[in-house]
Amino acid sequence: MTQTAYDDVAAKLGISSYDVFLRNLPSVSNGKAEVYKAEMEIAAKLIGWKDKWHPHGKGDKNGSIVTGLGMAIHTWGGGGHTSSCLVKIHPDGGVETSLGSQDIGTGTKTAIAQVVAETFGLPVSGVKVNIGSSKFPASGPSGGSTTIGGVCESNRRASLDALDKIFGLVAGKLGVPATQLVAKDGRIGVAGGGDKSLSWKEACSLLGMMPLEVKGEFVRGTKDPKLGAGSLLSNQQVAGVQMAEVAVDVATGVVKMAKFVAVQDIGLVVNRKLAASQIYGSVIMGIAYSLFEERIMDAQTGSMLNCEIADYKLPRLGDVGEIVVEFYEPESEYSRGVIGLGEPPVISPGAAISNAVANALGVRVPILPMTPKRVVEALAKGAKA
Amino acid sequence: MKAFEYAAPKREADVVSLLSGTPGETEILAGGTDLLPLMQKMLVTPSRLVNIKEVPSLKQISVDSTGVTIGAAVTLDDLLNDARLDCFPSIKQVIRNIAAPQLQQQGTLGGELCRRPNCWYFRNGYGLLGAAKLVENGENRFHAIFGNEGPAKFVSPSRLAPALIALGAQVRFIGPDESETKLPLDGFYRVPQTEGERETILEPDQLLTHVHLPLAGLANAAYEVRHGEGPDEPLVSCAAALEIAGGIVRHAHVVLGQVAPTPWLSVAAAEAIIGKPVNAETAREAGEAAVAWATPLSDNGYKVQLAKVAVERALLLAAGLPHGGF
Repeated sequence: MTQTAYDDVAAKLGISSYDVFLRNLPSVSNGKAEVYKAEMEIAAKLIGWKDKWHPHGKGDKNGSIVTGLGMAIHTWGGGGHTSSCLVKIHPDGGVETSLGSQDIGTGTKTAIAQVVAETFGLPVSGVKVNIGSSKFPASGPSGGSTTIGGVCESNRRASLDALDKIFGLVAGKLGVPATQLVAKDGRIGVAGGGDKSLSWKEACSLLGMMPLEVKGEFVRGTKDPKLGAGSLLSNQQVAGVQMAEVAVDVATGVVKMAKFVAVQDIGLVVNRKLAASQIYGSVIMGIAYSLFEERIMDAQTGSMLNCEIADYKLPRLGDVGEIVVEFYEPESEYSRGVIGLGEPPVISPGAAISNAVANALGVRVPILPMTPKRVVEALAKGAKA
Repeated sequence: MKAFEYAAPKREADVVSLLSGTPGETEILAGGTDLLPLMQKMLVTPSRLVNIKEVPSLKQISVDSTGVTIGAAVTLDDLLNDARLDCFPSIKQVIRNIAAPQLQQQGTLGGELCRRPNCWYFRNGYGLLGAAKLVENGENRFHAIFGNEGPAKFVSPSRLAPALIALGAQVRFIGPDESETKLPLDGFYRVPQTEGERETILEPDQLLTHVHLPLAGLANAAYEVRHGEGPDEPLVSCAAALEIAGGIVRHAHVVLGQVAPTPWLSVAAAEAIIGKPVNAETAREAGEAAVAWATPLSDNGYKVQLAKVAVERALLLAAGLPHGGF
C-alpha cells in the first residue's frame, strides 16, 4: 500500500517515483538508507530507468500498447532459527551430519554439506547430510526465511568443535602445535606449508575404534555466547530493491512483463546458484500474484469456484518476461554472515508491477491481480474521471 | 468415479450400436481431456465408455475437389501439422493458442467441438441451467454477454467452432438404422432448454464422424483475447472469414466465441464490413456493430469491450493488416 502511495505521489507531482523513493529513504529504511540507495542505483542501471522513464500515462503509444516502469523496496528479518545437529566423523574418514531439518526445494541439503565440507577442507561429496526425520536432533521448521541461518550456525559450530578434536590428535602425531594446523584440500597440515601433514583419512584413523560425535547448537535470541549470542556467522534484516517494466494493451487490458530486476543483499552468499534460484522463484511468484493468481470465492455458496487447475490462473514461461537477479554484496554486507533469503524478494513485485502498470496507463489498477478485466475497468473509470 | 464398461470398436457402425439412446448412459471417449475430469467429479456418470480412437475412418484427413474432410478423432496436433490446412490460418492460430502440448496431442477435433461448458457453477455441481440464479447474482465475470436472457448464461467453450463456422464447415453424424445427417456446424449447436439437455443437437446414440471444410479461398483469421500464454480459455474470441475482391469485402462471416451459450454469429459485424475495404476504421465500426446489442451481466461488462476489439482484430488479421495490440 505504502509503496503504491509513493508512486501515486510521484504521479501527482509529475516527477519520477525513483526520486520520491530516494528522498523518503531516511524515514522508511530502518537505518539502511545507504544500502537501499546503492541498490536503487544498481537496479536503475540494469533496467535503464533514466532512459525509459516517462511521466505517468505520458509514454509513447505503439498501436494500443503502452509501457511503464515501476519500483518498490522491501525488508525482511531472515535470522536463523534454533537448530541443533550431530556431526559424526568415522575412523575411516567418513563424515556425516544429522539434523531434523528439511529441504523444501531450496537447496538446504546442499548448503549444509558445503558448510561442513568447507570446515573440514573436504569436497562436498565427502559429506553425507541426513535430514528429513524427526529422529535427528531438532532443527527448526522452514518458515520466515530462517532455515539457512539456523542450519549453517549449528553445522559450522559442530564442525569447528570436531575439527579442534582432530587437530589435537594430529598435533600429537606430527609433533606440532594444534594452533598451527589447517584443514585444506583433503589434508591436515601446518599453515603456510611444510612437509608435515596427514591426509584426512589418516588423521581420522587416529580416532581409534569409535567415531567422533559432536553436537552443534544454535539458539535464536539466546544471551549465552556458547549457544550463539553475538555470533558473527549469521545475521538478520535485509533490504532489497526491485524494478519492473511492463507493456499493457489498453484495448484488451492484457499486461505483459517485459523485464524485472531484483537487487538483493543477503549478507554472505552461501551458494550463488541456489540463492539466485530463490530470487528467480520469488519473482515468478510475485508476477503470479500480481497478474494471475486469485482465489475466487462465491459469496452465495461459500465454495471456491476456481479450485481446479483449469480455472486457477498461473503465469507460464512466456508470461514472466526477462528476469535479472543481482546480489548486492560489498564487504560491509558480506561480513554480516548468513541471512535467510526465500521471502524478501517476493514482497516487492506486487507494488513494483502495480506501479509500472500505473506508470504505463496513467491510472491505478487498485486490486491485485491486475487482470484484463480490472485493467479495462480502471481505464474506463479513469476516462470518466 | 463410477465404475463403467469400456468398449473400443473398430468401425463407425459398431460405435453407434454400442451407444444408448438414454441420455447420460453411455459416453463417447476420444482424447478424454474434458470427459475424464467430468467423470472424476461425477458430473457425468456413464455406464459405458465407447472409445472411438480405434476407428480408422475417424482418424483421417482427406482432400478432394469439394474441400477437406477431417475425422472427428483427428488430434489437434495433427491438424496443426498438416500442410494441407495451411489455407486456414484461423484454425492453426487457435490450436497454437491452446498452448499445452498435452491438450494438442491428446485432444481431438470432435472432442473440442463437443466440450461441456466451463461455467464454474456447473463444474462445481450446481447444474448448468439450474445455476442461473447463482450466475446472475454471483461470479459471472467469464459468462455470456449475448443470448443470456434465459437460464443458459454459460459460454460455449469450443475454441475451434467460431473458426470452423466462419469457414462454412459442415458436420456429419450418424445414428441407429444407418441414419446419416449433414448440416452446417452453426446448426449443430443449440441452447439447452431443460437441465438434462446437451449443448448440441447430437442425440445420445449419435456419433459425430467428420467435419467438412469447403476450399473457398476465404481470407481468414482468428483472434483470441488471452489473459496469458497458457492453455487457459480465452476471455473472448473472434474468427473472421472474408471474400475480398478488388480490395472490397464481398462476403463475410464473423463468429465470436466465449460470449454466448453457442458460438455467436455476428450478422451485424458482417453487414458492417461488407461492401467496404478492411482498414482500421471499418474494422472498428464492425467491432462496434458486433456489440451494439450486448447484454452483459453484473460483472462482465468488460467483455463487451474485449468482444469489440476481438472482432476488429480478427478482421484486420484476415485482411493481412497489423492490429497494433498483443
